[in-house]
Amino acid sequence: MIEIFNIEFQNPVFIASGVFGFGLKYKNVTRSVGALFTKGITLLPRMGNPPPRIYETPCGIINSVGLENPGVKEFCRSILPRIKKINSRIFVNVAGFTVEEYAQIVEEIGDRVTGFELNISCPNVKEGGVLFGQNPKMAAEIVRVVRKRTRCPIIVKLTANFCDPLKVGRACIDAGADGLSLINTLYGLVFDIKAKKPLITGGLSGPAIRPFALYCVHRLRELKVPVIGIGGIMTGRDAYEFLLAGAKAVAIGTAVLRDPYAPLRIIEELDTLLKGGK
Amino acid sequence: MMWHLVKIINKEWLSRDIFSMEFTLHGLKPAPGQFFQIRINESYDPLLSRPISIADYEKGRLLMIVKIVGRGTEILSKKKTGDEVLIFGPLGKKLKIKNKKSLIIAGGIGVAPLYFLAKSLKKARIDFTFVYGARTPSELVLKDEIKKLSSRAVFITETGSNKAGTALSVLNELNLAEYGAGYACGPRAMLVELKKMNLQFPVYAFCEDFLGCGCGLCLGCAIKYKGSYKRICEDGPVFELKGLEFND
Repeated sequence: MIEIFNIEFQNPVFIASGVFGFGLKYKNVTRSVGALFTKGITLLPRMGNPPPRIYETPCGIINSVGLENPGVKEFCRSILPRIKKINSRIFVNVAGFTVEEYAQIVEEIGDRVTGFELNISCPNVKEGGVLFGQNPKMAAEIVRVVRKRTRCPIIVKLTANFCDPLKVGRACIDAGADGLSLINTLYGLVFDIKAKKPLITGGLSGPAIRPFALYCVHRLRELKVPVIGIGGIMTGRDAYEFLLAGAKAVAIGTAVLRDPYAPLRIIEELDTLLKGGK
Repeated sequence: MMWHLVKIINKEWLSRDIFSMEFTLHGLKPAPGQFFQIRINESYDPLLSRPISIADYEKGRLLMIVKIVGRGTEILSKKKTGDEVLIFGPLGKKLKIKNKKSLIIAGGIGVAPLYFLAKSLKKARIDFTFVYGARTPSELVLKDEIKKLSSRAVFITETGSNKAGTALSVLNELNLAEYGAGYACGPRAMLVELKKMNLQFPVYAFCEDFLGCGCGLCLGCAIKYKGSYKRICEDGPVFELKGLEFND
C-alpha cells in the first residue's frame, strides 16, 4: 500500500497511458495494478493516424497511433463505468488541442475518476501535444485553466523532447499541478532505404530510453513533488531504480506489448526487492 | 489467452528460407486465421513477439510454417527440435467458414493459414479449389499435402518452366461463376490486385503485418476497413476484401 495525493494505492506499479486501452481486456492485470492511466482522451472522437503506426527498433518501438479514441462523451457513457468495476484507481489521460479543450474534457468527466494526467507531450499529433509540453508558459497556462475546473489530483505528463522537463515541471507545479509523470516517448524516425523516405516518424519507447528516463526522473527530485516514473520499465529491478531515483510510483508502458501480463510479474519482483530480497 | 511453454517436437526446413515447427499443445479449439505471438528470445532485442499463423492443428499437434523475412524470424529459424518456445494465443477472431464451393488463393508464405483453412473445409465436406503461387518451385511448400486435400489444386511459380505466373494469373483460367466464397492470403500487393478483380463472391482476406502487442491493446496494427481503422490482431486478421481500403 502506498499513498500519493492523500489517496491510497494497492501498490506503486501503474499502467501507462496508451498501451492497455481502457484496461477492459486483461481484467486481472487491470485489477492488480496500483492505477490505470487510460488511453488519451480527446474532446471529439479521433480515428488516429494511418498505418504504419508501429515499428520495432533496437530494444524499443516507435509508435504513431495518433490518439485514436472515442472522444470524452462516449468514454464517459460506455467505457468509464466498465473500468470502474475493475479498478477504482483511474487517471484519465487528457489530450487537448487548445487550452480550453483540456478544461472541457476534465469538466465533462468531473469527479468520477481518481485524477487526471494532462498529456502535453504526445509527439504524434500535428497540433498541441508535445508543442504545449516544450513551453513552460504554455504548460502552466493549461494547468491553471484546468485547476479552476477540478479538485481531483492533476498530474502533468512531461516530455523531454528538446526541452528541460525540470523547467516545464516546475512551471506546472507553480501553476497548481499536484504531480508529474515522465517521460513520454522520445522523437524517433526510421527510414525506408528503398523508397529513400521516412517509413515512420513517431515516439520511441522501451528499454532503449530507460536510462534517459531515469536520469530525467532523478533530475526532478529537487521539486519535491510526487513523480510517476515512466520509460522502458521491464522488470521489478527497473521499477526499483525509478523509486530510488525519487519516483513515488512507476507506470509500465512498452513492456505490456511484449507481455500483457508483465505488470503482474513486475509487481511481484518489486515487492520482493522492497522487502529486502534479491 | 495465455502463454504456453512448448517444446518443438519436430523442426524441418521446407525450402532455403521456409521452415516448419511442430508443437504438442492440447486443449485448444483454434479456427483458421488465428495465430500465436512467439517470443523470439529473452533479450530485449528484438523486443516484440512475432505473429505466426496456425498452419494446422489436429489432436493437440500444432504446426507453424515460417518464412525468414527479418531478424526475428531469422533468430527463430535457429531453434532446433527439442528446444522450448514461449507462445501466446491463439489470438485473432475465429473465422466462420462458408458452406459454399470455395476458392483458396495463396501467394507465397500466405499458404500457411490457408492450409489449415483447407483442412477445415475438407472436414466440413465443402468443395474447394486451391490455387497456390510462389516465386520458385522450391518455395512451393506443402505441395503434396495440398494435393491430398483438394479435388483441384493448381500450383504456379513466377519462374516455372512450362508456365510462369502468379496465383492471380491462374484465376482467369477458372470458371469463377462456380464459386460462392473465396479465401486469400499473400503479399499486400496480391490482395490489392485481387480486390481490383472485383470477384462476384465474397473473398476473405487473411491480413499480415507488423503487430505490436498482437492482442488488441496497443492499436498499432491499424488497417482501414469500411471507413474506419480496425486492428488486424483483434478485429481480424481476416476481413472481407471488399471492405478493405488499401489507399490511406
